[in-house]
Amino acid sequence: MSLGAPMPDVSQVPPEMVDFGLLKTTGALAPRLGRLTLPSRKPILTPAFLANTSRGVVPHMSPDNFRKYAGSNGVYVGLEDFVEKHPEKTPPIFEYNVPEPLRKFAALPQDTPLVLGARRTPPIPTPAAHTNTAISLLTSVGYKSVSSEYYAAAARKLQPDVVVGMADIPFGQPAIGIKRKDKMSDRTEAWLRDLVATRSAMATAEPRFAIFAPILPIERDLQSWYLEHLLDDMVDSISGVAIYDAFLLDDLPDALHHLPRLSLHVPASPHELLRQVSLGMDLLTVPFIASATDAGIALDFSFPPPENGNSNERQTLGIDMWHAEHALAVTPLSKHCQCYACTKHHRAYVQHLLSAKEMLGWFLIQVHNHSVVESFFASIRSSIDAGTFEAHVAAFEAFYEPQLPEKTGQGPRARGYHFRSEEHAKKEKKNAKRWNGELGGKGKVVLKAAHGQQPEKKQEMMDVIDDEALIGLVGIEDDADAVQLEVLKIEDDVKE
Amino acid sequence: MVSLLKLAQVTEEGVRFLSPHDGSPMLLTPEHSISLQNSIGSDIIMQLDDVIVTTSPDLARMKEAMERSVRWLDRCIQAHKYPERQNLFCIIQGGLDLDLRRACTAEMVARDTPGIAIGGLSGGEAKDEYCKVVETCTGLLPEKKPRYVMGVGYPEDLVVSVALGADMFDCVWPTRTARFGNAITARGVLNLRNAVYSTDFGPIEEGCQCTCCRSTEDGGLGITRAFIYHTTAKETAGAHLLTMHNVHYQLNLMRLVREAILEDRYPAFLRSFFAKLYDDKSKYPDWAVGALKGVGVDLLSD
Repeated sequence: MSLGAPMPDVSQVPPEMVDFGLLKTTGALAPRLGRLTLPSRKPILTPAFLANTSRGVVPHMSPDNFRKYAGSNGVYVGLEDFVEKHPEKTPPIFEYNVPEPLRKFAALPQDTPLVLGARRTPPIPTPAAHTNTAISLLTSVGYKSVSSEYYAAAARKLQPDVVVGMADIPFGQPAIGIKRKDKMSDRTEAWLRDLVATRSAMATAEPRFAIFAPILPIERDLQSWYLEHLLDDMVDSISGVAIYDAFLLDDLPDALHHLPRLSLHVPASPHELLRQVSLGMDLLTVPFIASATDAGIALDFSFPPPENGNSNERQTLGIDMWHAEHALAVTPLSKHCQCYACTKHHRAYVQHLLSAKEMLGWFLIQVHNHSVVESFFASIRSSIDAGTFEAHVAAFEAFYEPQLPEKTGQGPRARGYHFRSEEHAKKEKKNAKRWNGELGGKGKVVLKAAHGQQPEKKQEMMDVIDDEALIGLVGIEDDADAVQLEVLKIEDDVKE
Repeated sequence: MVSLLKLAQVTEEGVRFLSPHDGSPMLLTPEHSISLQNSIGSDIIMQLDDVIVTTSPDLARMKEAMERSVRWLDRCIQAHKYPERQNLFCIIQGGLDLDLRRACTAEMVARDTPGIAIGGLSGGEAKDEYCKVVETCTGLLPEKKPRYVMGVGYPEDLVVSVALGADMFDCVWPTRTARFGNAITARGVLNLRNAVYSTDFGPIEEGCQCTCCRSTEDGGLGITRAFIYHTTAKETAGAHLLTMHNVHYQLNLMRLVREAILEDRYPAFLRSFFAKLYDDKSKYPDWAVGALKGVGVDLLSD
């Protein structure tokens, strides 16, 4: 509101919950800079990203480490991670009778903005269809459904800062018929109305959540019924929009342009993040941070890309830390990175931790990956500010490969709610069997331990070690894996 | 060298085994083991020893392993490049046979290493036998050298072993059990994967000062049992949280042990420790009562 406007009657109007100021914008479908302020939370400078959670935690980070290394912006939480006991029992979180139960339960910092949606992002498609009144979810114990009233009541109880309205989107369906799209629009309208009604019924003293209205991933005229009602009846009740298809931002009604835009359009790469930002997205979710971490991939990109004259080859966007080539690399995960993992540790250690399946390995990569995306967004903001964004995007696209590297390594154990239902039906194991103690018929026996063993220089030791036993063991010479181990120097190998 | 590795083959030269990572054959000699530890540069390094299953009935093999461990100690001492900055600990072997243990202790004490470990225990032997071995060894050890009982970690084992004269311990159990959702508390181990904890919004252990249990007002995380139930075995962060608590519990336990010893009230500490752990004296384990009686602490008195 402008400074000249008369003071509103505070007794009638609920306190402004969300303040979103556009600091710089160059028109529709253009990148924009903003500041999103939620009461008693740290303001978010946009474009920015929300940390994505699984069961209330950023994967591989305990809440104390989240504070230290990733707690910069806000978090996105899916209700489906908390309601596996429904409907047989009341999900435990609803019995936690403290102010802000969700924040307290998950030990989130007091100043971190907390956004609640019905589903995780990305959502796993559910086999059961949504109904007129209920959405289908995947919990850690299987598919469930919760009604729109239930969702609104959950939002009221859990007291997040922002609640994304339930959207009727048949995830995983390749083609959606016109009739189904009509239904999407109808249901989403009704569900949002339920959420708005629940909040209106709340006493003024009750902590209020802000509502972000979902914008469906379908053409504007097919959701026009919903959008009309949104504009006519509910526009004053919503504080933002949640967008499932960034390429339809063009269709966003003008009357909603001033609102912050949360993207639930799952980006596959940093290029896609840039594309979304270039279309005017404010707040993004970046599930590939965690999927890269799970795969042992340390993200390695910066914006704008480094000056690099002589190389024509596109640079990779990430480094597969499983690769044995890192076993001796006492260098940071990415050059110049100032994150905890890069300043305190090196590739060789992370590679070792992954090979030993130590959880610390994934933690360090996660810290790094969050930091890389954090810097990425900071640079995006300065670039928009400086008016160089478009040029930088072009340079970024020319410099880096279009996709993140293929996953080769084994992640931590996959859980049921991590993969699609079709994958459940497949016969092969989701988690590889551990080495079972047999040689597995490779037929060839190679020795790896003899690597550091050099003939003893002290006479008394030469007498007790049977060097021939070492040399006599089969296959030392042509074992490719042993090569890199051979260059590992043990201190007593060095000079006289 | 602990033979958790099924296919280990011990010869005078060293231990041959298949890598647990990829199954390739490896050979570890005393010299190579020390060389690796010299490279690593840890403050304490351990000799390579010949360990067989503690409960093995094969006395001849047990004696051979004990004697070989003494010979390997000599090779380790010879190979050790930095005796001035890295402390080589011997490891007393001899299974559950007290005569073998005495003989081994005598041999190893004679070699005057900076610290002394008692090895080959914590392998499924009866607890009273374990206590006898520890007591026998500590009785023969010099006063001014640290005594390290390897692989011991249950809280009751720690406090009893301290009473028997042990100083240092190591164990994977507190962190390993955390990964399975088990919380160590003064009143016993709680499996927080049990559904009764799903709505338990108290801290993992009331009064605990670890980062998880301390309230947010006290600068902690205010983690509840219900949150551990919610995350454990589903997100690695659940294991991180419980690991913090369990390690804190163990470190704090040993801090309390040290305070009690300094203040000359260790017997009273032991009595209150067991009184918290078991709700009734009749449930006290016989081995602990017996072992402590042997060193003049009557757990059953008031």
